[in-house]
Parts: sequence; structure tokens; C-alpha cells
Amino acid sequence: MISASDLHQQMILEAYREALPVLEQLKTDVLVTLHEALDDSRLFLTAIEARVKKEQSLAGKLALKGAKYASLTDITDLVGARVITSYTDDVDRIASIAERLFEIDWENSVDKRRLHQLDSFGYNSLHYICRLPGYDFRFELQLRTTLQHAWAVINHDNGYKSDIEIPQEYLRRMNRLAGMLEMADDEFSRIRTELTDYRRRVQTLVKNGKLDDVQLDGDAFRSYLQAGRFNPLNKRIAAINQAEIQETPLDNYLQVLKWLGCNTLGDVNRLIKRYEEDAYRLARHQLGNTDLDIISSALGLQNICIVCILSTGGGKSGLEQLFDMLNGTIAQNATLADITYEQAKTLSFMKN
Amino acid sequence: MTTTIQENGNQVIATFEGRLDTASADRTAAVVKPLLDVRDKEVILDCSKLDYISSSGLRIFLSIRKEAAAHGCKVIVRNMNANVHQVFVVTGFVSLFEIQ
Repeated sequence: MISASDLHQQMILEAYREALPVLEQLKTDVLVTLHEALDDSRLFLTAIEARVKKEQSLAGKLALKGAKYASLTDITDLVGARVITSYTDDVDRIASIAERLFEIDWENSVDKRRLHQLDSFGYNSLHYICRLPGYDFRFELQLRTTLQHAWAVINHDNGYKSDIEIPQEYLRRMNRLAGMLEMADDEFSRIRTELTDYRRRVQTLVKNGKLDDVQLDGDAFRSYLQAGRFNPLNKRIAAINQAEIQETPLDNYLQVLKWLGCNTLGDVNRLIKRYEEDAYRLARHQLGNTDLDIISSALGLQNICIVCILSTGGGKSGLEQLFDMLNGTIAQNATLADITYEQAKTLSFMKN
Repeated sequence: MTTTIQENGNQVIATFEGRLDTASADRTAAVVKPLLDVRDKEVILDCSKLDYISSSGLRIFLSIRKEAAAHGCKVIVRNMNANVHQVFVVTGFVSLFEIQ
């Protein structure tokens, strides 16, 4: 004879089968809503995913605590969505976005990050129970970092149904890992914040012309390039043949400038001031008797480096090293160095 | 000016022969048009038989590079002679292309 409890579970499972198309539609709508809101955000997301609970999983849940649910709509995780972020700070940002997108069932939502006892670690993530207008069913939204997700997935796959069954040694080691991952998450966020602060500081120093205070590195060089310091020289060179200027990334000149002895943006600025006139003369000498009417925006800086090398006695070998840095080490760089040296050798800066 | 295109494994090789200048640019641009649609392959611009390149030729190379970059392909300019090399240096185009 079937028990009242079994009958109740079967009724809920039957209701679930009938509701499946609606649950699938809810899943799709939740995904679309999340993608529309988050795809163009500047948050670093690892994944946005959603699923409808499998019948087998629901049956297991009902077997454990079926009496808790009067009807199918009382079950809040039939549809589950998850947003996985790179940074722990972004979990809170996405939570505030979710609060605008969905109606949050605060009574049933849990911030597991805040549930920890002082002496425990474990499963860190934010769970919101949400409702999308037009649906009777609620759904669960999990927000967590990539590291929290990795921990949760591995912990979930341990083969045990509840914490009580888990051997203490396993639990202790998993908690130890959770603590370590939590520290790593915090450190990643701190690094990002400090890098952002550093970039802002560099931009301000560049803007205010305090170039000697800025160490030459990738961020500093990018800020300097954004200020368009090479534009006037490139425009002068372009005017020789009424040429168009083709924008070119100059990132690979960072190592060249360091090789030429620049340690700060102030050094770069002095290098430019010292050699830009000769760099222009070199371009005029090279382009003046041609009909070449297209140049790269790297030409101004390229010629500054060439002039610097030649006027400080670097010769053909110095030029070859320059082209090695720009092109990678290839046999043709010796030819490039020869050609450039021959073109430049009659110019005044070679006589210094 | 003669231009040929052939595929070799994961490479598409365009070989240029003669002078790539204003007079030959339109015809060359038409021949290399299939290179603009290449996906997931390396594009090699073989200049071993190219005697000279003008601004018009540089613009053709540039359009190939732009489309290739948009499709995630790498463009390599290979075997330039001294004349062609010189044009690449004096225009700063050495910084725009990978050269072999």
C-alpha cells in the first residue's frame, strides 16, 4: 500500500512533468535577462549558466524533505541560474544588478559568505531566490567567484549526501582549501584595485607633466602614447609627401626605449626633444625623392631611435639590434640595418 | 606584374612577381581579394620575386593585414629584396608587419 508521503511526492513529480515546458521557458528568459544586463557590463565574468532541475534530482530531494513542500511552487530551485565572476568584488556588483532585474524573495535568500562561524570556512557564495514577472515559479540565482565555484564543484562531487556523512579528515582538508581560496580571491581583488589606482596615478602624473616621477613601464608608456606625443612629428613627416598616416601599435618600442637608457617618462621626453629634429631630417632625406604617400604612425619614433643609435656611435650593429627588437631576430635585420645606415650616413647628426 | 595564390596546409601564400605600383595595383587587388576572406590560416606575402612596391602596393598589403587581423589570422611578409625592404623601413611599415 502506498503511503501518504509517497503519494504526495508522486503528485509533486507529476506536477513537475506537466510544468517542464514552463520551467524551460523560465530558464531561457532568466538567461536572456542576465545576458542582456551583463554582457555589455565591464565586469569580468567567467560564465552565465542555467539549468532546470532533473527529475531524478527532484525525486531525491523529495525523498529527503518532501513534507516541507505543499506544492511544486514551494520548491525554489527547480530552475537554477549561476553567474561566475573573476573577482569577489564583482559578486556584490552583480547582486545589485540582480536586485534590479528580479523580484528577490529576501526571506529565502542566503548570503552564505556571511553565515560562517569564526572557526569555520567552507562554501562561500551568494544565493538569491528570485521571481521573474509572469511566472508562478521562483528560481535560484547563485553568484560566486571562479575559485568559489571550483571549490563547490569539487566538494559537491565527494559522493556524500550531507556534511554529517563526510569523514572529518576530508572535511578539515576541504575547509583548509576553502580558507586558502578565500585568501586568494581577496588578494586577486586587492591586486586589481591597486593596479587601477596605479594607472590613475600614472595618468594624472602624465597629464600634469610630472614625467620624471613616472617609471617607464607598460601602463606609463600607454598613458604617454595616449597623450599623442608623437603626433606632431608624424604630421611633419607626413607633410613631406602629403602622406596619410596609418595608425600602428607602438607597444614593442617600450623595450627599445629601455634599451636606449630610458627609465622614466621624463627620459623618453628628453630623448624625443633631443632627436626629433634629426628624425624629421632623416625622414625628409628618405622620403623626399619618392612618391610614397602612406606612412606608419611608428615612423616618428622609429626614426628617433635610429638617430639616437647612430649619433651615439651605435652604428650598423646598433641598428640591427633595434630591428631585432622590433621584428624578432631574423637574418633580414642585417640588411635593414645596412640600408638604413647607408641612407643616413651623409646626414649632419652622423658627424657629431 | 604577376600574382599567384596557393594554399599549403594551414598557410595561404600569395607570391608577387614584378613591380607592384599604381599601374598594376588594381589588377593585383582583384587577384588577392580571396585573401580578405581567409579564416584560421596564416597569410604569407612572398616578395622574393617582387622588384618594387609603391604606396598603392603598401595599401594592398595593409588591406590584407586589416582583414586578416579581423579574422584572427597572422600575416607574414617574406623574402623582401633590398628595394622593397627600404620602402618598408622609410615608411615605418616594418612596425606594421611580421617580417621573415
